[in-house]
Amino acid sequence: MAQIDLRSSTVGLDDVILVTGAGGFIGSRLVARLLEAGFRQVRCLGRQPLDAKRFGAGAGRVEIVRGNLLSRDDCAAAAKDAAVIFHLAAGRGEKSFPDAFLNSVVTTRNLLDAAVAHGALRRFVNVSSFAVYSNVGNRRRRVLDESCPVEPRPDLRGEAYCFAKVKQDEIVAEYGRDRGLPYVIVRPGYVYGPGRDGITGRVGLNTFGIFMHLGGSNTIPFTFVDNCVEAILRAGITKGVDGHIFNVVDDELPSSRRFLREYKRQVRPFRSIYVPHAASYVLCRLWEWYSERSQGQLPPVFNRRSWHAYWKRTRYSNAKIKELLGWTQPVATADGFDRYFRSCREKRAHA
Amino acid sequence: MLRTAIVGCGKIADAHAAQLRRIAGCEIVAACDREPLMASQLAARFDVPQQFTDVGHMLAKAKPDVVHITTPPATHFPIARQCLQAGCHVYVEKPFTLDTKEAESLLALASARGLKVTAGHDDQFSHVARRMRALVRMGYLGGPAVHMESYYCYDLTDAGYARALLGDKEHWVRRLPGKLLHNIISHGIARIVEFLETDAPHVLAYGYSSANLRRLGETGLVDELRVLIAEEGRTAYFTFSSQMRPGLHQFRVFGPKNALVLDQDEETLIKLSGERLKSYAGKFVPPIRTAWQHVGNVATNARTFLASDFHMKSGMHHLIQSLYRSITDDTPPPISHREILLTARIMESVFEQLDRRSPHADVEFAAPGRLAAR
Repeated sequence: MAQIDLRSSTVGLDDVILVTGAGGFIGSRLVARLLEAGFRQVRCLGRQPLDAKRFGAGAGRVEIVRGNLLSRDDCAAAAKDAAVIFHLAAGRGEKSFPDAFLNSVVTTRNLLDAAVAHGALRRFVNVSSFAVYSNVGNRRRRVLDESCPVEPRPDLRGEAYCFAKVKQDEIVAEYGRDRGLPYVIVRPGYVYGPGRDGITGRVGLNTFGIFMHLGGSNTIPFTFVDNCVEAILRAGITKGVDGHIFNVVDDELPSSRRFLREYKRQVRPFRSIYVPHAASYVLCRLWEWYSERSQGQLPPVFNRRSWHAYWKRTRYSNAKIKELLGWTQPVATADGFDRYFRSCREKRAHA
Repeated sequence: MLRTAIVGCGKIADAHAAQLRRIAGCEIVAACDREPLMASQLAARFDVPQQFTDVGHMLAKAKPDVVHITTPPATHFPIARQCLQAGCHVYVEKPFTLDTKEAESLLALASARGLKVTAGHDDQFSHVARRMRALVRMGYLGGPAVHMESYYCYDLTDAGYARALLGDKEHWVRRLPGKLLHNIISHGIARIVEFLETDAPHVLAYGYSSANLRRLGETGLVDELRVLIAEEGRTAYFTFSSQMRPGLHQFRVFGPKNALVLDQDEETLIKLSGERLKSYAGKFVPPIRTAWQHVGNVATNARTFLASDFHMKSGMHHLIQSLYRSITDDTPPPISHREILLTARIMESVFEQLDRRSPHADVEFAAPGRLAAR
């Protein structure tokens, strides 16, 4: 990993760093990276008991706080004296809009209130997602970057996660505007790596045992987990970037077709049916029409907005994280995929 | 136009709002939640004009005719009482209240004020449940029910609710008198209650924590429950399980002549004839008849789907419609006070019996408890 230059940092090695969602896929690696960078007071908040030993050699510098972000008391205890908060905890995977909202937005509001009350905060890093971008107005093959608009009606995307993340970003920006909260928003693309072995829906969907390949020649906005962690870390400690939004994707991104071919070759063979872009658009449009007509008999999970966000041919940029955060990709894309495929194979072998 | 308010803007409130949008003659005028962000997200997604954090303020300002109470169960009683006192009809999500005393109090208040109340036993109003009820009324069973079996299972490996409950030692479900069971079993118990004729059946309950739950360090939650309910001339078994597969949501009712088997998950209703065919005919004809009934169920479900009336919460849609009709026409509510009360009594008896012994003790049935007639 590249060394961190703390001379241009918002924090010192003895400052308290809080990581929410520290037991998760990205959070656990972020804690390990913070320890590797030399931070001596890393506080981890999680709902489940965490064993500090999982963070390796620096475990003695980790403070485990068990708590729930829905509790204001737990938030106050976790945020006490924190100079930087890396907020990774979120309601992932919930299909219910209220559940996703509760576990993303209400929790974030509680944490923000606690951080503002303590007054020690120098940076709040809100980890968001590419899911928030609308992409409807973008022409095909155009670059999606930080200047692109966020979904104006996330409730109509039919995706609870998108709705919650848009609202979470809004509340963070509101605290920045109204209460002077120093924040940045980090929006990773699809974060992959050992430990997450699914195939992103941007490539395709497994429906009734048939894999529908929807991505085709699209570039998929992958970021290897260690590369993403490096960007999140730099977003938390780099001076002069308050209020900025950073998209995180790797260099040399593969197309959906190339990824799928390699996955089948290196992990497991399976049959897939390619659905051309025009056909997937028509299918999404039909689903949307039927969902409206039947008053939600089929939930509106496929619609034109989701097609634009996930399956329209789009290019991605990481110029801003390179320019403002000095980010360089610690793990080369080819190496990242080697590690990922190997872990998928091992998991299958032990299943 | 009935003016409706929703109190409690969590997951189940979404189902209410979605079904209310499908019902003509009503409009959602207010969303209320102690957490203002939750009220605002529901209001934003369902175009609800007013949002509140206080029920009293909401009742005074929005002046709803009906209030849907979709808060955690411990708050059902005080909120429902407040709404009834303000002159509102109420739809209270299941479980109706924490105990029988609260249920009696609410129902008495509603009766005194001439207001309608229903409990959220919406499974009893699904398409297949209504088909079953129609057959029973037509006399298909050949007389009053002799025996019933109600299965209501829950998969604790399911993400979402189960993960939230198991991952949170302070979860509100743990503070209910019947804990996990309290929040889930009322649908399955209510199905049996519909066919009971007395108000004081015997209730015998046995429950324990499954090995899987104990492995997770959960010794205080009962996730395996068997209940025997008996009254003069009639018995019923109730099964709640997190472990058996398939995890059924099924109801079987046996009469003196024929029986019916309702499968909620598959939305199928199978008639079991009491007629015995002679010799080998009995080995071939009934399976063919049953197969043909399954084909009929597929056709019925397909027709309902094509008519865009096969929503996952179609039972709730019909229950709300029936409640609203009872309000506008001043007819009896879709679920009688007696059924609501008896469901609460049986549940209370089950929880009392479980409380008397360790949830993972060896099999040992307590003396049957007879509900006191009230």
